[in-house]
Amino acid sequence: MQEKRTRYPSYDVLREQEHWDEHTREIVLKRLGPFDQHKFLEDHEAALVFGIARHIVYDHRKEILDYVVHHLDQSLSSAAGEDQRKVDTPEQRSLVRDGLRAIDKLSQKQYGAPFLEIDEKEQYTLLQELDQGKALPMRTWQRIPQQELFKKLATEIISAYYSHPVVWSEIGYGGPAYPRGYVRIEQGLTDPWEAKRDVNK
Amino acid sequence: MSTNNHDYVTHNCDHYEDHRYNHLKNRKYEDEADICVVGAGAAGGVLAYELSKAGFKVVVIEAGPFWNPQTDFASDELSMQSLAWNDTRLVAGNNPLAMGHNNSGRGVGGGTVHFTGVFYRFHESDFKVKTLDGVADDWPITYEDLAPYYEKIEKDIAVSGPKHFPWGPFQGPYPYPEREPISANAEIFRRGCEKLGIPSVVAPLAILSAPFDGRPPCINRGFCNQGCLPNAKFSTLIHHIPKAIGYGAEVLSDCMVTQVQVDKFGHVSGVTFVHDSKEHFQKAKIVILANYCIETPRLLLHSACPQFPDGLANSSGMVGKALMTHSGHDVYCRFRDEVRLYKGTPVLAATQEFYETDPSRDFVRGYTLNAHGSRPLGLSKNLVAKSGIWGKKLHDIMRDFNFFAQITLVGEVLPNNQNSVILSNEKDEYGMPRPIVTFSYNENDNKLIAHGVEKAQEILMAMGGEPAFVIPDTGHLMGSCRMGNDPATSVVDGYCRSHDISNLYICSASVFVTSGGCNPTETVMAIAARTADYIINEHTKRS
Repeated sequence: MQEKRTRYPSYDVLREQEHWDEHTREIVLKRLGPFDQHKFLEDHEAALVFGIARHIVYDHRKEILDYVVHHLDQSLSSAAGEDQRKVDTPEQRSLVRDGLRAIDKLSQKQYGAPFLEIDEKEQYTLLQELDQGKALPMRTWQRIPQQELFKKLATEIISAYYSHPVVWSEIGYGGPAYPRGYVRIEQGLTDPWEAKRDVNK
Repeated sequence: MSTNNHDYVTHNCDHYEDHRYNHLKNRKYEDEADICVVGAGAAGGVLAYELSKAGFKVVVIEAGPFWNPQTDFASDELSMQSLAWNDTRLVAGNNPLAMGHNNSGRGVGGGTVHFTGVFYRFHESDFKVKTLDGVADDWPITYEDLAPYYEKIEKDIAVSGPKHFPWGPFQGPYPYPEREPISANAEIFRRGCEKLGIPSVVAPLAILSAPFDGRPPCINRGFCNQGCLPNAKFSTLIHHIPKAIGYGAEVLSDCMVTQVQVDKFGHVSGVTFVHDSKEHFQKAKIVILANYCIETPRLLLHSACPQFPDGLANSSGMVGKALMTHSGHDVYCRFRDEVRLYKGTPVLAATQEFYETDPSRDFVRGYTLNAHGSRPLGLSKNLVAKSGIWGKKLHDIMRDFNFFAQITLVGEVLPNNQNSVILSNEKDEYGMPRPIVTFSYNENDNKLIAHGVEKAQEILMAMGGEPAFVIPDTGHLMGSCRMGNDPATSVVDGYCRSHDISNLYICSASVFVTSGGCNPTETVMAIAARTADYIINEHTKRS
C-alpha cells in the first residue's frame, strides 16, 4: 500500500518549515506530538476512535492516528460550538460518548464481540451500515441518530488527518507559504521548493 | 491618532504592544452614543467608517475578538476555522445548511476576514425579479439607487478587475488592474470557456493587484479563507474599522449583544451586552443591527417585550422569514496533468454568461461560475460530510489532490417563507435561545443547480477533464429581515430603517429581497454606504 500512497515519495513539506511564519510553524509542528493526556475521551473511548479512524482514513500509521484522536479529544473538550447540529441530535459530547458505547453494543449484538475485537471486514461493514443508517435496530438509535454519529466522527477524523504534515507531503500539497507566497502559479509551473512528481503512475 | 497615518492596522485599533486595551474600563461613549452598530463585519465596518467620519459618536459592538492578522492568523485550515461563527446553530429542513466557516464570521471584520474577496455588483434585473420573472418580489430600491455606492466602495478599497466586464450594467473598468498571473485552475477555466464560446473574465476582487493605502499586492499564498496575512485582501478589520477608530469610533470586541432595549415610547434606547460574563449597557440614539442573517432575527425575536410581544420590528411577522443561501455546488474534474488547486488566490476567473433568465431554460434566474481553488481539509471534509465519501475511495481521490480542477456555482435561490430562523428551547452560554435554521431548496433552485453543474462540467471537459465528483455545497446567507415598501410584508424600508421602530435599522445581507446569482459582499457594503448617507442626510435636515 505504501508505494501507492503517494506520487511524491521524495517530498517532505516539513523541510520548508524554516520558511513559514512562526505562528503557523508552531501550530503545524504540534501535530507531530507528543500529545497531552486526553481531556474528554476515556482510554477505551480513545482506543475505539483510533480503531474507527483506521477505516475512515484508510491508513493505520500510529503517529498520524494518535494526532487524529488527540484532535477529536480537543474538539470535544473545547468550549467552542459545533457550527451546526441537526435538531433532535444530541450535543456533540453526548453524541460521541453514547454513540461510541452504542457502536460496541451493536458490534456485540451483530458479531458477538466489541468493535475492537471483531475482524477488519466486520468493522468496515458495521461502519458502512452506520453511515447509511442501516445498522441493526437498537433502542439507542432513537436518541443517537446513526448517520449523525457517523458524520460527526468521520468529519473530525478526516479534518485532522488532512491537517497532518506527513499527509500533506504525500498528496503533494505545498502548504504554508507566508511570507514568501507562491510565485509560479500558472499551468505547468512550480516553485522550486514544491512537490515534484517522481512517480508518474 | 492621525488618520493620515498609513499604518492603520497596527495603530488604529486596540492592539497596543501586543496587549489589548482594556476598553470596558475606559469606554468613550458610556453615557450615550449617537449610533450603536451591532456587528463589525462587511456592513458594520462601512457604517462605522462613514458615520464616524461624518462626526457621529459611533460605538461598534462585536461578539468576537479584535484580530491581529500577524499574530492571530496562520497558513492553516484547521486552526483558522476559529475565524467563523462557531456557536452551535440547530439546523433543519430537507437541505440543512452547513454553518460556521461556510457562511459566517466572528470577530472584527466578520466574514470579510475569511471571504474569497470576489466582488460583484448585482445586475439591474436582480432588483425587479417579480416584474421580470413573476416570482419572488421586487426590491424597494433599484440598481440605479445603488450604482453610486458600488462605485464608491470599489474606489475606497481599490477593487482589481478587468478593463471590460461583459455582463450587467457596469462594464468596467475597475479602479485597479486585473490580477495577473492567474492560476492553472483559472487558466483551464478560461480556455475551456473559450472553446465553448462562453465569454469569461479575470474575477473582480477586493484583493490588491498593486500597492494601495500602505498595503502590498497579493503574493498568491492562497489562504484567503484562512485570513490574509500580508493584508493584501481587503477586510473591514484592516480597512474601515481602523479608519473609523481614527475618526473617533469605539469598538467593543468580545462583547455579545443579548438584548435590544425599548423605552416606554416604543423607541430603541440601546443594547445590553455581555463581556466576560458581566452585563453592560450601551445607550444610543440609533441602533443599527449589522449582525447578519441568523443573529439579527435571533436578537430581534429574543428582544420581545410587552410592547412588542412577537419580537422587535416584527409587526409583519417577517423577521426570520425568507432566509436564502446560494447553491454552491463544487464541480470537480480530473486532469492528466497537475493543476494544484492550492496555489494562488482561490477565485481568479469567472463567467456570468448564465446570470439572466433565459426563456429557453426550464427555470428562471441564473448563476455565476467561479473557477475555484481548494485545500486539503476543505476538500476532504466536504467529501465526507456532504458527499459521504470515506475510506479507500476518499484516500484515492486525495492522493490525486493535485490533479483536479474545480468550478464553483453561485446559484440564485428564490425566497421562500418556509426557510426561516426561529428560536429553540435550547439556551446558549448567554442564556439566549439557540436559533433553528430551516432550509430546503425548491424546484426552480434544483433545476438551476442541474444546469449549472452541467455547464461547469462541459467547461472542464472541453479541456480534457474527466468528471470526478460534485459536492452539493452552499455559500453565503441572505434575507431573514427583508426590505420592502409595505410594512405588512417587510421588516425595513429601502434605507434599512425598520418600519416599526424609527431609530432601529437593520443593515446587512439580512435585508436582501432576493439572493442574486453572485457573491453578495459588494452589495452588502453598497447598501451600508447608502444607509449611512441616509442617516447623515436625515440628521442634517433636522439640525
